Amino acid sequence: MSLWSGAIQSLLLGFSTGTYCAMYCAPVLIPLVTGTDNISLKKTGILTSLFLSGRMITYIILGIICAGAGLLVSSFFDPVFARRLSVIAYIFCGAILLNNSFQKMKKKNEAQCRGLKKISVFTSNDYSTAVLSGLAVGLHICPPYWATLFLCSQSGSALHAAVYFIFFFSGTLPFFLPVFALPFAVKKLPVLKKIAQTTQLLIAVYFIVFAGLIPLFFYK
Amino acid sequence: MAVKVLLSALMAFVIYFFTISLRSADIITFVYAGFLLYIFISMIFTGNINKYRRIFQFVFAVLFTISFIGNLYDERGSMAITQNALFESEIPFCHLVIPVSIIPYALTKTIIFPARITGHYAAIVSMLVIWLTAVLTIGRGWCSWACFYGGLEDGFSGIGKKQRIKLLPKSKEIRYFHFAFLAFLVLMGIAFMSSIFCEWFCPFKLITEFTPIVDIPSLIATFVFMSVFIIFIVILPILTKKRTQCSLLCPFGAMQSLLDPVSIYRVAIDTDKCTSCMQCASVCPFNAIDIDTITQKKGRPEITCAKCGACMDVCPQKAISMEFSFSKALAKKCGSNVLNPDNKVQKFFIDLLNPKYVFMFSAFTFGVVISSMLSTDGMRRLISGILNALQFGGN
Repeated sequence: MSLWSGAIQSLLLGFSTGTYCAMYCAPVLIPLVTGTDNISLKKTGILTSLFLSGRMITYIILGIICAGAGLLVSSFFDPVFARRLSVIAYIFCGAILLNNSFQKMKKKNEAQCRGLKKISVFTSNDYSTAVLSGLAVGLHICPPYWATLFLCSQSGSALHAAVYFIFFFSGTLPFFLPVFALPFAVKKLPVLKKIAQTTQLLIAVYFIVFAGLIPLFFYK
Repeated sequence: MAVKVLLSALMAFVIYFFTISLRSADIITFVYAGFLLYIFISMIFTGNINKYRRIFQFVFAVLFTISFIGNLYDERGSMAITQNALFESEIPFCHLVIPVSIIPYALTKTIIFPARITGHYAAIVSMLVIWLTAVLTIGRGWCSWACFYGGLEDGFSGIGKKQRIKLLPKSKEIRYFHFAFLAFLVLMGIAFMSSIFCEWFCPFKLITEFTPIVDIPSLIATFVFMSVFIIFIVILPILTKKRTQCSLLCPFGAMQSLLDPVSIYRVAIDTDKCTSCMQCASVCPFNAIDIDTITQKKGRPEITCAKCGACMDVCPQKAISMEFSFSKALAKKCGSNVLNPDNKVQKFFIDLLNPKYVFMFSAFTFGVVISSMLSTDGMRRLISGILNALQFGGN
């Protein structure tokens, strides 16, 4: 398959199934953007771009690995492996979101919650959280993602893999446009920020415990 | 007086239609119909809406539970969900799952709950029709007048007289948490294409149906839902005198709060009459009135008001009342003379259209329609169980 026909195929694959990509990303991106301080259209754009860049970096890295391994990688193309990868992604993503939530709580109650200083492992802000959670979400394997990975392993070229994934990623981008409505919603209802921060905390705990540790230890 | 008699007669007809004429007219249906009529007449003549509403909702919740569990044992032999029931989408559609199902359905045309679309009393379409009617009419009043789960909390919150934990200073945070929990469930529903509330958190599995314990995750899920039931439906309502599960966790309640502005009824606080005694805030089971509501003279409870009537009953100044959402616009359009009757006939019709009575009538009608079938069945099972236990009869 030529580079450009593969690229177009990846673009269409991303475009036709982008709803699902957005559905996986929504629980991470929406609370993060809504709960950020001094939300504006510009900040929403930056946070969304950083998150999506993180996702694209993981895509390209996995694509290049698959291209390097060639058809050897086909032995990993099974649902159990994909589920394991997703579980790891959830734990990683949950930890990042939880750390960010603790940072925000610490900032709010500096005096009252000294214990939170110890809980938050590293200092992060919304920007670094966006990149790191994007990297984690990129590990979440869905069927169209599999298809593109398979295309990469067939091509055997790192350049082809990078191009395929950039096009696949670009195909999913239009589905993220609704995120830009969030600053307007928060300006109209400032209470949404507080609600989003609590939602993020709940999502982080769910990712770690219910979508991460329980399946990791107890599901085959 | 004439209005109250007329409304009672109309309610008697509604009760007769839904409880007796649509079912087998035996002694049990007559007893239940009599009970419903007694509740409505007591409410309308004494003006103690909340007291009698709570009795009705608690009785409904208990009888619903007996009927539901009894039916499960008749059909499956246990309360556990079978693989067959899952594959054949035989699980009764629960209204609590509506908010979590809407967006996944809109995006993917997939219903994330294994229930029948039609052909069943608890099928998706019939539940949606009931829900939409509730949204347009009683709004979040559903939680106080028609929800078969809420009655359990109402019952437990009635145990003991003293409020041992005061949630009033935390009312705002409770409301925020409730909406955050709804957002969490909706976003997780989108990401996982399943209702994680049903999978992990629903406390009502204890009184309805649950996944059998076959592995560690199902054991953990059982532990979680039992803990949520004991903490949020039994212990906290006893200690706080509030409906804590309804105010903190229920996704349906949170969604109804958001949709409540669509409904035609709302509770109004007359800020001129209000003396800021805070009795309404203290008794509100849904944390819908807090210190800010009164001090900032907002003129109405917060968005989570479920129109239970507790604040109206307790207000010493009678400053809290029910009104139509269009009352102000109507008064503006028609002038202030619209409510000043010239003669007895006009007065009668104005009294008849008193929002408090109209709301009570429509909300109780909801309760009658929803409760009739399951409650009479529950009563039948309860009596037969008691008789069997006493060895006086049974089969």
